[in-house]
Amino acid sequence: MLRSIKPKGRTIALFLCIPVIWYVFSVFVPLLTAVFYSLFEWKGGPKKTFIGLANYIDLIKDGTFWEAFSHNIYLVLACIVGQVGIAFVFVLIVNSRLVKLKGIHRTFGFFPSTISAVCIGFIWMMIYDYKRGILNWLLTVTGHEDKVRVWLNEPSLVMVLVAIPLIWQFIGYYMVILLSAISSVDAEIFEVAELDGANAFQRAIYIVLPLIKNTLLVCVTLCVAGNMKAFDHIYTMTEGGPGTSSMVMAMYGYKISFAQMNMGYGSAISVGIFIVSLIVIGGSQKLMNWLMRDKGVE
Amino acid sequence: MKKKLISTLLCAAMTASMLAGCGNGGDTNTDAPAKEDAAEDKADETVDSTEASQGSDAAASGGVSYEGELSLMHYSTSEESEGNGGSDGFRTMLKEWKDANPNVNLSENVLANDEYKTQIATLAAADDLPDVFLLQGMNTKAWAEQGLVMDLTDIINSSPYAADYKQDYFTPFKDGDGKIYGLPVLTGGTCTVVVYDKQMWKDAGYESFPATWDEVLAAKEKFSGDGVDTIAFGNSGKWQANSCFMSTIGDMFTGKDWFQSIIDKGGAAFTDQEFVDALKFTQDAFKSGVFNADFNAISNEDAREYYISGEAAAFIGGNWDVSYIMATLLEGDEEKYNNIGFATFPSVEGAKGDTNVQNIGLGYGMAINAKVAEDPEKLDAAIDLIYKLTGPDFANFVAANYALGGLTQVEDVDLSKFDSVTQDFYNWSYVDTNTCEIYDSYVSSAVWDVFNTELQDMLNGDTDPDTVAKDTQAAYEANY
Repeated sequence: MLRSIKPKGRTIALFLCIPVIWYVFSVFVPLLTAVFYSLFEWKGGPKKTFIGLANYIDLIKDGTFWEAFSHNIYLVLACIVGQVGIAFVFVLIVNSRLVKLKGIHRTFGFFPSTISAVCIGFIWMMIYDYKRGILNWLLTVTGHEDKVRVWLNEPSLVMVLVAIPLIWQFIGYYMVILLSAISSVDAEIFEVAELDGANAFQRAIYIVLPLIKNTLLVCVTLCVAGNMKAFDHIYTMTEGGPGTSSMVMAMYGYKISFAQMNMGYGSAISVGIFIVSLIVIGGSQKLMNWLMRDKGVE
Repeated sequence: MKKKLISTLLCAAMTASMLAGCGNGGDTNTDAPAKEDAAEDKADETVDSTEASQGSDAAASGGVSYEGELSLMHYSTSEESEGNGGSDGFRTMLKEWKDANPNVNLSENVLANDEYKTQIATLAAADDLPDVFLLQGMNTKAWAEQGLVMDLTDIINSSPYAADYKQDYFTPFKDGDGKIYGLPVLTGGTCTVVVYDKQMWKDAGYESFPATWDEVLAAKEKFSGDGVDTIAFGNSGKWQANSCFMSTIGDMFTGKDWFQSIIDKGGAAFTDQEFVDALKFTQDAFKSGVFNADFNAISNEDAREYYISGEAAAFIGGNWDVSYIMATLLEGDEEKYNNIGFATFPSVEGAKGDTNVQNIGLGYGMAINAKVAEDPEKLDAAIDLIYKLTGPDFANFVAANYALGGLTQVEDVDLSKFDSVTQDFYNWSYVDTNTCEIYDSYVSSAVWDVFNTELQDMLNGDTDPDTVAKDTQAAYEANY
């Protein structure tokens, strides 16, 4: 019976072909062409000059690229603590017996992640606005006029200010992932721990954390990968400004490629982003594994 | 057996849809909003009804013999054309041309300006440009060097309207040898105009906008006492401080020869003292408190709202801002509308160039893909189209309906049917002021991107004029 409905190997291969070809076409082909183009001086148009690795040598010496890289790393750290960390705390709160209407908390918590990045950018631009923004208004009515400032024009603050909307948007996203991870854990474990006298903090660290370790690892990886390619929020809010104070790698690549029409160097930047992102993502996974090594219950 | 057939079919369908997805180049209409399609359909319908009169109203040359497809990419969307004279004129001319040439299947790809810039650059990079498109001045040299755009020098010289073309407008579309690659299109508008509220300045003790910068600084004391910004400006997009400020201030300090020498690579440098002085003045001006404190965090669209709401006594921006301000005030606050005054940037101590200057020009030119030359009949159609879009019909249309000027000179424009504010702006733009060049119509986007970014930093006081000049010069030497 089973044998009769099992499709032929050829059919399976044929169907599998479609996503594989699609994946190769949309991921590997652009990557390889980018590597190819990065070896040329190419300012758009049919004429290209082969210059070997000169673009990469420029890239290594390019202060703006590394400044952008440091901003990405800043975002990654801020968002791991902010998004995954706060989400974890929220999950514990929502999961506690004292909280009613769990479904509503979950749904509304998830809401911001369904809004497009451009809208989020605009919403927060209004909050930060100098003359009409809610932040400056709040400072004024509470008597802190001296703290009123043009928020998005402060080079030293701008990265914090663009990180906040990013964190705010995705807390709900990680909350939902972590909630589902916890709900798959047998509730008796928590009850037993409570009976044994473990307080909330101990339960979180010694029971919940090890039990959802793998999910947490996925969350951190998603968070790192997401922030290495950060672009849209920042583009909407500051376009990398003032100057290059909030420039991130993807935006720098975009600017070089399309605002300056330097496709060759732009390709080198995107290959550079690919390499440093791999290193950062791989490194973060190693680090997570190492941190969790003695708490593991596989 | 049946299953196998279905699976094969499904497979084929998916592969086909995938390939179709990849094949979507620039010459299809995928990006045109639905409204465009509707407008085009309408245009197509009218083709039938006017077929009888074909040729009679074809202004350029009365119908072309070419039969087939001609692709055109532009950014005069129907949304844009509402109230924007240039866009409206462009669309009107296009419709007239289509009506006169029903045998040509004009396939239009209409995008909003920002998307247009990105997409046309991408198509240029892929050597896949449409037959006819709008070329931005600063891309001219690079694209001409790549052989992407056709040399139009002879075509322009043999145009039936050649004698009426305002020659200054061609400068951005010339290469080093004087060959011309674009026929300037749409309306000429200033990029740096001081819009001020006559009543507010009168209350502050000024009969009109001050003629010197020192007086503006003095006026600031009065305005800031009332909690009003003297001048509103927005530079969050980074290009505004270049196009709507430095371009004019630079000319006031360096004079015209300096920028011409920059264009011609004649030895002038961004590190020349005059230009650095202009940068220093700009930095001081933005430090002085004359402008709204959040100038680097808001766009020109936000800044002009400060003027409209009376939070600022004046505003510096381009003609596009002026049309918005005028339209908004006309609807909401007629008294304030009638108080609109126009001025050039006040004279500055130490500036040696012209005074009473403003940068005006046509930023885009109609260009023809170099490949069109392979088909002489198609080329004729393309030439006919660009003559029509930039010719006297267009100029008359925008002069009569919007009090605007185009490439072609129009004699004796009758402005009597416009109100005094519109007349003032026409005279200010085309008659009463000295003109200078718009920086970023020239040179290379690679240079201006560096300059704009550094300039924004400089206005914040995070870098100094010498560094900006040095870095811009480095980008200039590397990219131009």
